[in-house]
Amino acid sequence: MKNRLNWKSIYQNPSFPSFLILIAIIFLNAFLQHNFFTYRAFKSNLLTFTPLILTSIAQGLVILVGCVDLSLGATISLITVLMASLMGDSLLSMVIVVFIGSGLALLMSFINGFIISYFGPPPLLTTYATSVLWFGIALFFMPTPGGYIPSHFSKMYRSDLFPGFPVVLLFLIGAFCFLFFMSKTRFFKHIYAVGGNEEAAYANGVNVFLTKIKVFLLSGIFIALAAICVVAQTATGDARSGLSFSLNSVAASIIGGLSFSGGRGSIIGPIMGGLILGLLINVLYFANITSFYQEFMKGIIIIFSLAVGAIPKFLKARSL
Amino acid sequence: MSFILEARNLKKSFDGVVALSDANFTLNQGEICGLVGANGSGKTTFARIISGLMHPDSGQLYLYGSQISLKSHLEAERLEISMVHQNLSLIPEMTVWENINLGREFTTPLGILKKEAALNRAKEALQELQVNISFYDKVSQLAPSDKQLLEIVKALSRHPKILILDEPTASLGFRQVDILFEKLNQLKNNGVSVIFISHRIWEITKICDRLVAFRNGTTVGEVDFHQQPRDERLIIPLITGKKENEKSIHEKRSYRSFDTHQFVLEVDNLSKKEKLHNVTLKIREGEIVGLGGLNGQGQEEILLILSGYLKKTSGKIKMNNQEVFLKNSGQAIKRGIFLVPGDRQKEGLFLNHNVFTNLIYPQVALKKQKFLLPLKELHQAVTTTIQTISLIPPDPRKLVSHLSGGNQQKVVIGKWLSLSPKILLLNDPTKGVDVETRRNLYKIIADLSNQGVSVLLYASDNEELIANCDRVLIVFEGQIVEEICGEGICEENLIACSLRVQ
Repeated sequence: MKNRLNWKSIYQNPSFPSFLILIAIIFLNAFLQHNFFTYRAFKSNLLTFTPLILTSIAQGLVILVGCVDLSLGATISLITVLMASLMGDSLLSMVIVVFIGSGLALLMSFINGFIISYFGPPPLLTTYATSVLWFGIALFFMPTPGGYIPSHFSKMYRSDLFPGFPVVLLFLIGAFCFLFFMSKTRFFKHIYAVGGNEEAAYANGVNVFLTKIKVFLLSGIFIALAAICVVAQTATGDARSGLSFSLNSVAASIIGGLSFSGGRGSIIGPIMGGLILGLLINVLYFANITSFYQEFMKGIIIIFSLAVGAIPKFLKARSL
Repeated sequence: MSFILEARNLKKSFDGVVALSDANFTLNQGEICGLVGANGSGKTTFARIISGLMHPDSGQLYLYGSQISLKSHLEAERLEISMVHQNLSLIPEMTVWENINLGREFTTPLGILKKEAALNRAKEALQELQVNISFYDKVSQLAPSDKQLLEIVKALSRHPKILILDEPTASLGFRQVDILFEKLNQLKNNGVSVIFISHRIWEITKICDRLVAFRNGTTVGEVDFHQQPRDERLIIPLITGKKENEKSIHEKRSYRSFDTHQFVLEVDNLSKKEKLHNVTLKIREGEIVGLGGLNGQGQEEILLILSGYLKKTSGKIKMNNQEVFLKNSGQAIKRGIFLVPGDRQKEGLFLNHNVFTNLIYPQVALKKQKFLLPLKELHQAVTTTIQTISLIPPDPRKLVSHLSGGNQQKVVIGKWLSLSPKILLLNDPTKGVDVETRRNLYKIIADLSNQGVSVLLYASDNEELIANCDRVLIVFEGQIVEEICGEGICEENLIACSLRVQ
């Protein structure tokens, strides 16, 4: 009864196309980047991809519950600004600032979640509005990139915990373990229920209001992690540093097979989607495509990936 | 005897539209109480108030003699009140077992799910009603009747003291209804009180101990079957508010021979993978042909293929002796084959638009029009159509979502009239439609057939087939197994053929 392995359930899985794309793009990458399988390249790739993967998880959770968070990039920006303004050289100040930054991420996510679930405006516009707000605050404090991040903070982030195990991997593994734990809880079932059909979920005794707020808080944890990575990597505060994450994370989630209307897909999807987008940029770089065309190619390939991701749904509709 | 549940003077309105104006209701322990009324009489609103989904504007609710105020659905659940929803409360993308357990999952103190316990609960619950579905299936893959059964199973598995069923039988076949009734009687003997809402009067007379009737949001009467006979004639006037009614609900269509009319539609060896096998049928001009049989034997597939929604695997479809190829619904519509779909709200109407827009839409979409729409002419046409279908209220500016279910269905039929239909395919057109409107609808259909329109009707309700069809084809496991004509169309015959007993 358990583990019924049948092919149909595998290839009809909404994340299946993104899995194929991921494998294809890994091959392409390995082919173009000569040292792809060396530890150095692995680590540098990991450093580059981690923020996008983490934001994709955050976005994926929000999309699963039937909302979307366009303010996630501005949240990251604001946190980098805050951390770069406050951080001092001592270990204590670093720890405190990291905690303040994380607390801010949770607070901002909570504000989004509260407005959306209490007043009920469209999440797209609500989070667009808050994103403008966060961006404005960040610009107010830091009109041009700057601030101070102690160099050993960045070094710590780039270092190895022990040989062959970079610190950044700890972030990812920690995030995955946490996600795995959460996926076994009843709360996770309620996310799918609310995303799938809000009214029906309510009629079943699910607390829709609380579920949405909790999801935003949960996504806030991943946003905070992503922001710490961004700060450590760029070593500056920049009101614009996070902006690209908002829509990239949405693209990653949808490429990963989530349904934009919520309640459908696996949370593994956004992780794969994030990896695909990260590797994509790598491929374009190593294929020696000039930066003029890089954005253009990126757009084309994202459209392609989205189309491939929609194939199972398309096939299902046709077989009617 | 004190009542276990009592409602006094409940009032509720939505945006100024009154749904309940003065609802009074009592329920004894261990009885099945029917709740009847036309569409829009406030039955569902009442049920939703009792189950805590809505809050009444005023009025009192008493449970076991003490006044209660249900703040949320959770509170009703704590008081062991459970409801089977009409607009299903299932999450389509979740599996059967997840749905059964939703909202009351077994967890460890850390909040981790206990899957084994959940699966066991699902298994027990499904066995209780003899439902034959895998609990790993997603709800979106289930047939409508299975979804309905699952909904009932879910409510039953909460072991309520008060069970509310809001039109539970609308999409069930009669064998499933029998199993449900058996279960309800068993619950009744165990002291559970049941509120049973249905449009099918014979179901009410069959299973209920008592019934309460609503009309326009007000309680208008009560029939206690312990003292009064189980007679439909007592109930119908309560629902319609008209006295003259001495006849049965449906008048049988008078027998006519169609042998001289020419064939309009001929279907030859139509097959669809796993669903239909060599279906052959012929319909003459002006004939009303019914598709009967148990639920989900392929009747809907036949209609959907003929209307171009589904693709056939093999077979020929001929209209007026010419083979036609129906690749999409547009082609079917061009040839004058129109479908009145089963789910009118989803597939037949633009709920947020007004009657006028809904009625002109097919014309505007399909016929060649001037760049600027001839609004005056269209308005005139719509007025005539509204008269033909006797829409209530006859106001083209009314939003369709504000119409009652029966009148919505009239709009679905009405929108095709301007395109001069040749064949009308009806997929269970009276699902959730009250008696009065139902009779109206069939009158419209009969009028159309007199004008030469051929009708292929699928109804989950045998009585409608008996009353309205010239010929009934019994479908069984994707094949047409029997043809019943004229006077032979009666309840016993239909059931016998559907069950394949000779």
